[in-house]
Amino acid sequence: MKISDILEEKAVVVNLQGNSKEQIINAMIELVSQSPKVLDKDKVRSAIFEREKIMSTGVGNGFAIPHGKTDGVADIVAAFGVTAQPIDYQSLDEKPVRLVFLLVGKDNLVGPHIKLLSRISRLMNKEDFRNKLLVVQSPKDILETFRQEEASYSEL
Amino acid sequence: MVSLEVVLLIGSFLILLSIAIAKFTDNLGVPALLLFLAIGMLVGSEGPGGIYFDDASSAQSIGIIALIFILFAGGLDTNWREVKPIVWQAMSLATVGVFLTALTVGIFAVFILDFSVLEGLLLGAVISSTDAAAVFSILRSRKISLKGMLKPLLELESGSNDPMAVFLTVGIVQLILTPDSKWTYLPLLFLFQMGVGSIMGLGFGKVVVLLLNRMKFSYEGFYPVFSLAFAVFIYAITTAIGGSGFLAVYLAGILIGNSEVVHKKNLFRFFDGLAWLSQIGMFLTLGLLVFPSHLLPVIGIGFMVSTFLVFIARPVSVYISLALSNHAWREKAVVSWVGLRGAVPIILATFPLLANVSNAKLIFNLVFFIVLTSTLLQGWSIPIVAKFLKVNIPVKQKRWYPIEFESRIGIDTDLIELIVPYTSAAVGKSLVELGLPNDSLVVLIVRNDNYVVPSGGTVLEAGDTLLVLVNKNNLSQVRVILAEQLGD
Repeated sequence: MKISDILEEKAVVVNLQGNSKEQIINAMIELVSQSPKVLDKDKVRSAIFEREKIMSTGVGNGFAIPHGKTDGVADIVAAFGVTAQPIDYQSLDEKPVRLVFLLVGKDNLVGPHIKLLSRISRLMNKEDFRNKLLVVQSPKDILETFRQEEASYSEL
Repeated sequence: MVSLEVVLLIGSFLILLSIAIAKFTDNLGVPALLLFLAIGMLVGSEGPGGIYFDDASSAQSIGIIALIFILFAGGLDTNWREVKPIVWQAMSLATVGVFLTALTVGIFAVFILDFSVLEGLLLGAVISSTDAAAVFSILRSRKISLKGMLKPLLELESGSNDPMAVFLTVGIVQLILTPDSKWTYLPLLFLFQMGVGSIMGLGFGKVVVLLLNRMKFSYEGFYPVFSLAFAVFIYAITTAIGGSGFLAVYLAGILIGNSEVVHKKNLFRFFDGLAWLSQIGMFLTLGLLVFPSHLLPVIGIGFMVSTFLVFIARPVSVYISLALSNHAWREKAVVSWVGLRGAVPIILATFPLLANVSNAKLIFNLVFFIVLTSTLLQGWSIPIVAKFLKVNIPVKQKRWYPIEFESRIGIDTDLIELIVPYTSAAVGKSLVELGLPNDSLVVLIVRNDNYVVPSGGTVLEAGDTLLVLVNKNNLSQVRVILAEQLGD
């Protein structure tokens, strides 16, 4: 499964507003909840924050990947945001976060969920890819950037 | 005397044959247990097998031993949280319901058969308990389930109504043997048996849980053996002091199955296997015990009693027992229909046989026939009836993991996914070097869309997704190790 297949343009924001980790995550949940696949927003929220309690998903280098599994979604849904300002996300490397990818998986489809997690965290570890995403100006261009990157990624 | 190898050869062959046939007839909707019974009949005295077996006493012993394990395993497998809301309904079915079934069938038998009142009631008592195991194997193979609380209700009912049937049967046999005894002592005896059974079951169940968790056996294999011996012990000691041993074993099973116990999964598997062996062994034995030619003369009466049981006695019992519940009529109808009779009535029918009660042979053959017909008719038609009454639902999709794990089974242990932070000091280290705490295990690494099965030498890369099986108490240690930054 490709990231560009599940990420919808309306779930991408290039100027995400918010001052704290919590505000940013909540904004991302609002974003993803526009999808009809989200059946229960509260379940999604509690799954995301529960997971965050276990270990911060700010995995370093300015990137965070809040995620969770719940039966409050009908299928895997995702959202991506570039924050308007650097956010203190309590990241493991203590650096502020600019890029946030939210992934909500279905409770009983764990395989695809963890595969996507690993794919996203792999892609986002590339510095030049992160820099590209930081300068792109529209959701459409962000999706295009993902598409190109995944095309070369699958050739790995 | 037949030599040991011959007995072993026949025994093992029959079990293998039973399993093979059960496998190939999985989709026919015939309860597997009925097939085991049929195999027993075929290899028996009058079938092509020609093995002569008429030892009701041995058959009864095998039946009782098998029932101990089946009830214990059934208890282990009962999810208390799931059945809690319907406990009282199930209790009502298991006591009032069983009593009413015995009574109505008894009265009917007195009318159509040349039976005394006590003999009629004895017949009723013997076939008064249900066996849902057959039903659920059918529903599973057809991939449908029952709505709402119906499934736990039926499972709990069938697991808990055997003690009542045993009590009634033994009580009535006693009344027949000693005619001058008063029946008025029966209610007191009932309270005593069930009370002692409950106390012994719950008390010893607690003891088993404590011991299992404290003993720290040096061999893992000791855990199931220890539990096995204890289950038998609980039955024996409870019966010896006059309580209901079956109730005690079942309750102990429920208590142990719903407590935090070490090596629980192990225990479950062991007893699941043992329960199957018991089922197969018991049905084969009962099939061997019956003489099919003796069934022929009772076909007419058997059909009448069977029809009465299925269409009148069982529904009446269910409706009265569930009068106070808020089940819709459709649900009560389905509960009535899932009133299959299983091995317990056949085992109970050996009691009057061994006590030399008059008409005992007739009762045994009648019961055998009723069990056959009710299981065949109801077992086969359950999916259709459930659909017709609109109480069926598709079987819930199972949680799909590349590796399966049920967190409710382990103690405080969970399977969680963690991403290796980009700048973590763990990057480039092998799993051994990480020094993860005991009780935690990286079971799978997802990297580049591939699953990597980890070994101690597997080197972590930045952005790897790890599936970690970890004790909640050790989670913070794992977190610290992964979060530690390069250069810190």
